[in-house]
Amino acid sequence: MALPSTVQNLECDSVEIETMKGALKDVYKSQDNWLSGAVSGHSADVFAAGEYDLAEDGQLEEDASIDEQPKTLPPPKKTARVIDEDNYEDEDEGEDEDEVVPSSSRNTSTNALLSPSKSGSSPVSSDKSPTKQIEQIKEDGLQEQPKTSEDARKQLDKEKRAIEEAAKRTFHTQFYSLESDKMAMLEQQKLEESEQQTDAEVDRVDSSSNGNQNGDQHGSLSQANLGASSLTLKHLIARIDMKRNQVQASDAELRTLMNEVRKNRSKYASEEFVNQEELYEAVDKVLSELKAMTEYSAPFLVRVNKREAPDYYNLIKQPMDLGTMSKKLKTHVYKSKAEFTYDLDLIWANCLKYNGDPSHPLRRNAISMRKEADKLVPLIPDLVIRPRAEVEAEERRKQNGGEDDGGDDSDDEPIMSSRGRKTGAKGSSKARKTATGRVEGTPGVDVKPILQLNGLLGVAHEGSDAGLDSNGFATPPIGHPGSVTPSGLNGAPGSQPDGMDLDGSSLNGITLGQSIADDLHEDEEMRVWKQVTKKGRAIAVKERSRLFRNDRLNIDETAPLRHKAGMRRWLRQQKNGHQTARPEAGAGAEVITQETLAEGMEVEEERVIPDYYDPVSAIPDLPAKLHWIEDSEGHVVDRHEECLRMSSPGLFTAPKSALTDKFEANMRQVQETRKLCSKIGVIKQMQLQAQLYNNQFPKYEPEQFVEADVDTFVTSNDGPIMAPWVCKAALSRTVGKLCYHAGFEELQPSALDVLTDLAGDFFGKLARSFNIYREAPKVPAIGGSEGVQWQERFTNEEVVLHALNETGNDVAALESYVKDDIERVGGKLGLMHDRMKAHLAELLRPALTDAGPDGSGAFNEGSEQFVSGDFAEELGEDFFGFKALGLDSEFGMSTLSVPLHLINRRLHNTYSGPVTIVTTTEIFSPLPPLEPVTLEIAKVQIGLVRKFFLDKLHANDDDPLPDDIDLSGKQKQPKPRLGPTGKITSPRKRILKDQPGNAKKKKKLDNGSAMDTSGGKAGTVNGIVKPVTPAKKKMLQNGGSRMERVESSQTNGSQNEKDDVGMISPESIDR
Amino acid sequence: MADKTARYRTEIQQMMYVSGETAEASPETTGMIEEIVRQQVIEMLRQCTEQASRRGSKSIATDDLIFLIRHDVAKVSRLRTFLSWKDVRKNVKDSDDKGAEPDIGGGDEPGGPTAGPVVAEAKKNKKTKIGLPWEVHSFYSQEVPEREDEEDEDEEEMNYATLQRLKKADERTKVMTKEEYVTWSEYRQASFTFRKTKRFKEWAGFGVVTDSKPNDDIVDILGFLTFEIVQTLTEEALKIKEQEDLGKAVAGGEQAGKKRKAQGLFNPPSEGRTPVEPRHIQEAFRRLQQRPNKQRAMLIGRKGLNRTPLKLF
Repeated sequence: MALPSTVQNLECDSVEIETMKGALKDVYKSQDNWLSGAVSGHSADVFAAGEYDLAEDGQLEEDASIDEQPKTLPPPKKTARVIDEDNYEDEDEGEDEDEVVPSSSRNTSTNALLSPSKSGSSPVSSDKSPTKQIEQIKEDGLQEQPKTSEDARKQLDKEKRAIEEAAKRTFHTQFYSLESDKMAMLEQQKLEESEQQTDAEVDRVDSSSNGNQNGDQHGSLSQANLGASSLTLKHLIARIDMKRNQVQASDAELRTLMNEVRKNRSKYASEEFVNQEELYEAVDKVLSELKAMTEYSAPFLVRVNKREAPDYYNLIKQPMDLGTMSKKLKTHVYKSKAEFTYDLDLIWANCLKYNGDPSHPLRRNAISMRKEADKLVPLIPDLVIRPRAEVEAEERRKQNGGEDDGGDDSDDEPIMSSRGRKTGAKGSSKARKTATGRVEGTPGVDVKPILQLNGLLGVAHEGSDAGLDSNGFATPPIGHPGSVTPSGLNGAPGSQPDGMDLDGSSLNGITLGQSIADDLHEDEEMRVWKQVTKKGRAIAVKERSRLFRNDRLNIDETAPLRHKAGMRRWLRQQKNGHQTARPEAGAGAEVITQETLAEGMEVEEERVIPDYYDPVSAIPDLPAKLHWIEDSEGHVVDRHEECLRMSSPGLFTAPKSALTDKFEANMRQVQETRKLCSKIGVIKQMQLQAQLYNNQFPKYEPEQFVEADVDTFVTSNDGPIMAPWVCKAALSRTVGKLCYHAGFEELQPSALDVLTDLAGDFFGKLARSFNIYREAPKVPAIGGSEGVQWQERFTNEEVVLHALNETGNDVAALESYVKDDIERVGGKLGLMHDRMKAHLAELLRPALTDAGPDGSGAFNEGSEQFVSGDFAEELGEDFFGFKALGLDSEFGMSTLSVPLHLINRRLHNTYSGPVTIVTTTEIFSPLPPLEPVTLEIAKVQIGLVRKFFLDKLHANDDDPLPDDIDLSGKQKQPKPRLGPTGKITSPRKRILKDQPGNAKKKKKLDNGSAMDTSGGKAGTVNGIVKPVTPAKKKMLQNGGSRMERVESSQTNGSQNEKDDVGMISPESIDR
Repeated sequence: MADKTARYRTEIQQMMYVSGETAEASPETTGMIEEIVRQQVIEMLRQCTEQASRRGSKSIATDDLIFLIRHDVAKVSRLRTFLSWKDVRKNVKDSDDKGAEPDIGGGDEPGGPTAGPVVAEAKKNKKTKIGLPWEVHSFYSQEVPEREDEEDEDEEEMNYATLQRLKKADERTKVMTKEEYVTWSEYRQASFTFRKTKRFKEWAGFGVVTDSKPNDDIVDILGFLTFEIVQTLTEEALKIKEQEDLGKAVAGGEQAGKKRKAQGLFNPPSEGRTPVEPRHIQEAFRRLQQRPNKQRAMLIGRKGLNRTPLKLF
């Protein structure tokens, strides 16, 4: 079975020739083999079918047009033919062996002829067209033409890819700015526009000319797709070929049938014209390649505008541009390669002619373009389009008078020719063919020498070709005068791909280097980068710019999505990124061989751009702590402890510093002084006002200022905590403190708000100008350590000073603020406090200063009791002695603030009777405690009193009447004191005098207590008033209390009146 | 206006002399200075009135006036001294009924040597300190009498400023002859207001600018301030002129050198000092009107011109 060996061979070849494609092809082939084997079971057929790739309607056409030859074809031959065709369609590996069988004799002969030139590319025409001629005369020649160009194209592709690869590899070594992208995008846009324009124009032409091409509308799928999708068709054709004799339909019928069935025909395919498809496919490709070189091609895309160059059309008689060429191409104006190349050359020539100045930039463009074109043009098969009818007629003519072999071949060739070139050929295949042509069955042995020879003799091609041509191997009238030129042109590049095969990479390098070499103006790497990535960049930029409108994100625009291939690519990048731990590094570098079959099938032009260009693939890495991590059981590991943190306290409070301390000390001082102030105020008020009430003066108890911090909270990022409202609150607190420090006791909220806003504004400005200075562009380093080229424009210190200056501050001002407005004010406040204290002390102890002649000594004596609580706190003594008296506890007062009426009285006491000596030595034993007046007691009293008591009791809910002594609070009377003279000094009188409009109750009480005291101090009072027995005293007391009733009820008892008068007398005496 | 410009010519010349301008200033110069001073006085009165009306009072108080110059510590301190001395004088007058020496009338020179005789009396009559409402004592609701022993820090500063001033005056008078010094000290009494209150009021447009009738204190303060203004202006202008002369000397040195080659030993001295010219005054005024950054701080990032009121100096 030939299959295994062939496959092996194929593999060998493919490895030799093109490792990349090899694997794929093997897969395809084995698939094909298997398929066809399954169908026929015939080994040869299997083989044939396996190799049969793309024999399409062309073949059928031929079959049909040539007057039915199946019977004349011997089966082996047919197989061979089929194989032949297959081979050069299907990447043509292994065709050498196959071809050897039928064509060895011819090969030898032709080889002998060709050997001097070693020309694989000699396009000697045979009967129909240059290609056909070759095919007919010599298998080598036959396949040479398309093959070499195909090879060359492939080489170019490969070269290009190599450049791309190289560029990709260097992607991560540089960072490319986006500055040239706009240009790229514009150029790309221009290109697209010009193409669209051409299309539109062509369409118009088409519609007007009513579309005389049959197959035009058929194929819209791209060429690359063809390989995969036409597999089925290929088998079909093979089957039909095999069972040709069983098929009822005529060839013509079959052909139309195939035409209809076939979907993937090129748009250039035409029934009427031979070679059109191949030629135009190639030309189209070359043209688009040229156009795609937007770097240089931009000026040549459209016709020269007369406005831009008014004299252009005077100088240039035959204007030409790429756009026009596309138009011509689409309207099928070109009839041969020569016409095309003529036009192409015309463009460059025009440009060079018009722009005579050697330094003109467009010249460079033209030269570069010409160089590129020279590289590409040889890829175009040198075909002449001829009407099919003519060709067929010719063929028939030849067949009739021709050799069987030739007829046979020519019979086959056209069939495949329309399509066969498509799948491309290997440069080596031809060489191998020649080799095997001589040494049968030993493929690839002397391939290289020959190839080298080929390469070396590349220049000689022309001559040899011409020679061959002139030799006229049954040369039919070619019908195109330029056919020689193309063939000659063919030679030069023909050598190039051959050489490439030999040493692809090195040659690649050379060509690359050469192309770069002529561009002296640009950095080599940059240039390569630009060229390689141009299209990708342009697209990426376009996509990106689509997302924006007026420099803003356009929210209406649909978000960019990754399509399938893009997703794959992205995944690959991710993978690469993880492998290399450098996402950008491995990003672009992808190897085609890694692609799966499916990926290969998928038509997605890889973009040769680094990732960060692609808006869709540029995704920042997730921080590790945010990764979704699962433990062994598939539960998500909760990791928020790692990213959450507690806010540190003190974020919103004033930081501790010497300044803050001073500041706060000052504020405390102010508070203390204010406290003193309020006391002074009270005292002053008391001096004016005789009677005061406890609640007359609100107690001034300022609390110390404490800056409350916010509760600790949890935050998840590392940045500063942004909480405008909290910040504002903190700022307004600070502003409030400043205001307090400046002497304001209170602030209106609106005023505070305004101040806060102003302060915020100011600090915003300060920070902004600070930032401006900090971010000033760097300047070249002066001196400094080596290696440091740039340094900050301003040092940190300078930045601060500048920012301060910008806002009208400087260090001196700040210092003077601290010195004057805080420290010195602190001193002043302290001074003020001292002054206040002294003043208060003076107010409280008028005796010290104003006691008069008799007061000062007395004060010293009485100082023990002349003492009190609250003020004493400041003075450091129990000023009023209330503490000693236990009054504070009696009144249940926690603080020692003196009840104001007490102070009042006491003050008056001191004023009026400075000589209050308490000689409380008890001469008499204390009286037994008085019994409270109860209901029972009242009943046993004399009638006069009984009624009174009963009334009283009744008013008191029948409870025992309390003794006056036991009365608490205001009602309680101070103990009367007896002067040394023995006179009763009763301040009450004075009070009465002072407060003529006093409350009745007060008066009553005073009176009552006066009685009481007189009773209490019976011994002393006796001398003046009548002696009183305890019972009498009680009576008196009661009388006192009664007086109140009397006063209220206007039923005055005379005795009471008397008592009252009696009570007044000492006071009047005292006066 | 024309009549007004000439009103204080002598006074201004005297003040300029005191400030260091020895040459005779042209009427243009004095006229310009006078106009500037007038402008300043009017501006002051206007601001005072505004201030007073903000307080809710119709008449302006001395505090309002002092408030305007509160940032100039030296000036404020001198004003305070002046006011307190004035107070003292009044007391003395009241108590002794003798009347103060007429010499003391130079209200603008309270700390100067002329105030010497009063000091002894002042010892007797306790000098009251003028409190300003934005000082510490106004933090508190209660007025507290001062204590004897307290020496305010402000006073030190005041003394320092006074000493500086006296030093400057001393420098100026060092080279003077006796006659010159007599003139100089005579000129120190020059005032816009002293014994010309009516003229001053008219000149400054009191009735127009402010409704209230400013009391004597205010007029006195204004007299003091106007003297200060003239002095500042003259000093600044002299500085400018000095610079200009220096620049001229450097630039024109060569030409002058050629001309004066033939000068002999007994050549008359080069012409005396040229007086300050109006352009110097103009430049001085411009410089004095310059805003410190502090006032522009809030305008950072704002567009447009910002109109600023006349700056007082």
